[in-house]
Amino acid sequence: MSGSLIEARGLTKHYDGFSLEGVDLTVNEGEVVGFIGQNGAGKSTTIKALLGLFPTDGGTSSVLGVPSDELSRASGAAVKEQVGVVFDAISLPEHLKVADVGRIYERTYATWDAHRFERLTAEFGLDAKKTVKELSRGMGMKLSLACALAHDARLLILDEATAGLDPMARDEVLDLLRDFVAEPGRAILMSSHITSDLERIADRIVCIDAGRIVFDLPKDVITDEMGVARCRVADLEKIADSGVVPDAELRYLRHDYGIDVLVPDRFAFAESFPEVPVDRMTIDDYMTLTLKGGVR
Amino acid sequence: MKRAFLLEMTIFRDYARQLVGLGLLVSLCIGLGMQTPLAMPATLTCMFFMMSAMGLAAYDQLNHWELFRLTLPLSRRDVVLGRYAAIVTFGLTGMVVGIVAALVATLVVSAVGVPGEVGEAFAFDPSMLSVMAVVTCFTLLIGSVVASIVTPLYFRLGQTRATQILPTVIVLLFVVPVVILGNSGMLDGGIPGMELVSAALKALDTPAGMAVGCVVLVVLSAVALAISAAVSLKLYERREL
Repeated sequence: MSGSLIEARGLTKHYDGFSLEGVDLTVNEGEVVGFIGQNGAGKSTTIKALLGLFPTDGGTSSVLGVPSDELSRASGAAVKEQVGVVFDAISLPEHLKVADVGRIYERTYATWDAHRFERLTAEFGLDAKKTVKELSRGMGMKLSLACALAHDARLLILDEATAGLDPMARDEVLDLLRDFVAEPGRAILMSSHITSDLERIADRIVCIDAGRIVFDLPKDVITDEMGVARCRVADLEKIADSGVVPDAELRYLRHDYGIDVLVPDRFAFAESFPEVPVDRMTIDDYMTLTLKGGVR
Repeated sequence: MKRAFLLEMTIFRDYARQLVGLGLLVSLCIGLGMQTPLAMPATLTCMFFMMSAMGLAAYDQLNHWELFRLTLPLSRRDVVLGRYAAIVTFGLTGMVVGIVAALVATLVVSAVGVPGEVGEAFAFDPSMLSVMAVVTCFTLLIGSVVASIVTPLYFRLGQTRATQILPTVIVLLFVVPVVILGNSGMLDGGIPGMELVSAALKALDTPAGMAVGCVVLVVLSAVALAISAAVSLKLYERREL
């Protein structure tokens, strides 16, 4: 099978005070898609909708070719053998020991690799005799990741999976995820507030705000092509009048000490305005300029 | 369904072990207090059905386990049927443990020769076995009915909300009808069909009647659980997690 491992078109779900509004999202084979947005923007709701954990009000979505609303039915449950899911906190009964968790997965997944689980838990420093309750948040996330990586999944859906991990553990996990996606036919959808992780691993960044997708761009376009021009107030009009930045794309954010301007092509901009310093764009910068920046 | 069942058994294993210990102690105390070993399997059977239904539901909402469970290769149907299979397994385990404990207690009391009323009550008598079977099957029915009532509520509302409304449900189902019957004067004048119940109870005095009684009680328990499972399947299918 090739193509999309996750496909959502016009996904809609209404709650009191919040709605997912026509979410389009695709995760293709070989891709790591970073899913970002503010708290309450709809990342977790989208992920749960994709996993078929509640009925949606409109749109369609599928995971590994199976419609999301089939995933909790007998007809579609088997495909979840190939999906590893990690939520933002450990989601297992707290009295279970690490070894019990392995036993639970062994009984649930036909493709469970007990040796790999033992190796991963040993690498992560998880004591098999410790209970879930005794694990710190970071150690709990490591246990969840070890489970997700030990049943030969094709698709990983990670919701804030690196939250709570120390920098060294995050490095370790990112290496494992890179190795995972290097195998043919695999992909990762990874929601995270730690955008530095996404800058290191993601191929594409999708941002959601107030239940709507606001951008879906290759990461390299953001971090390698775009820039943030650190301007004085007077420079903004000059830049706008020059036409180097198309009017529709001219987003800016005022600070006490000046204005940050979103520059789609920082190299072209640097040639036109050598006197204006341009920094490399980070995912954080781009999200902030897109969500909070003013438009002329 | 097998996967969901094994999952429930793994999760409940430690609690079940504690329950066996606690149940043995409680049933022994009740047996000694009532001066009959019949109370031991009866207590454990009823207790295991009820405690497993409530205990398993209690784990659902810990750490959002209920939500995460559906990301595993299980369907909602698997989850519901696995839960009922686990309740029945634990309930029957309680029954077996209770019967064995009662027999061991009577054998020990007979061997040691405990004097007084307790010694007499716990003295081994083969005719006690059939009575024990009927009493145990009756508590099997009670345990099954309770599990059958609470489990769909847990599946529909989740453990926290279901626990809040359970007292109301129990009052509506068991207290209100008695009050209405009492006030209606039906209890004074005799409830229609009471003759049938009296005849059935009389029939239980014979060995054949006891055997039939046991079968009827077991069948009624199975029917209650089957209806409950069908209701749970419907309710859980539509539940927003």
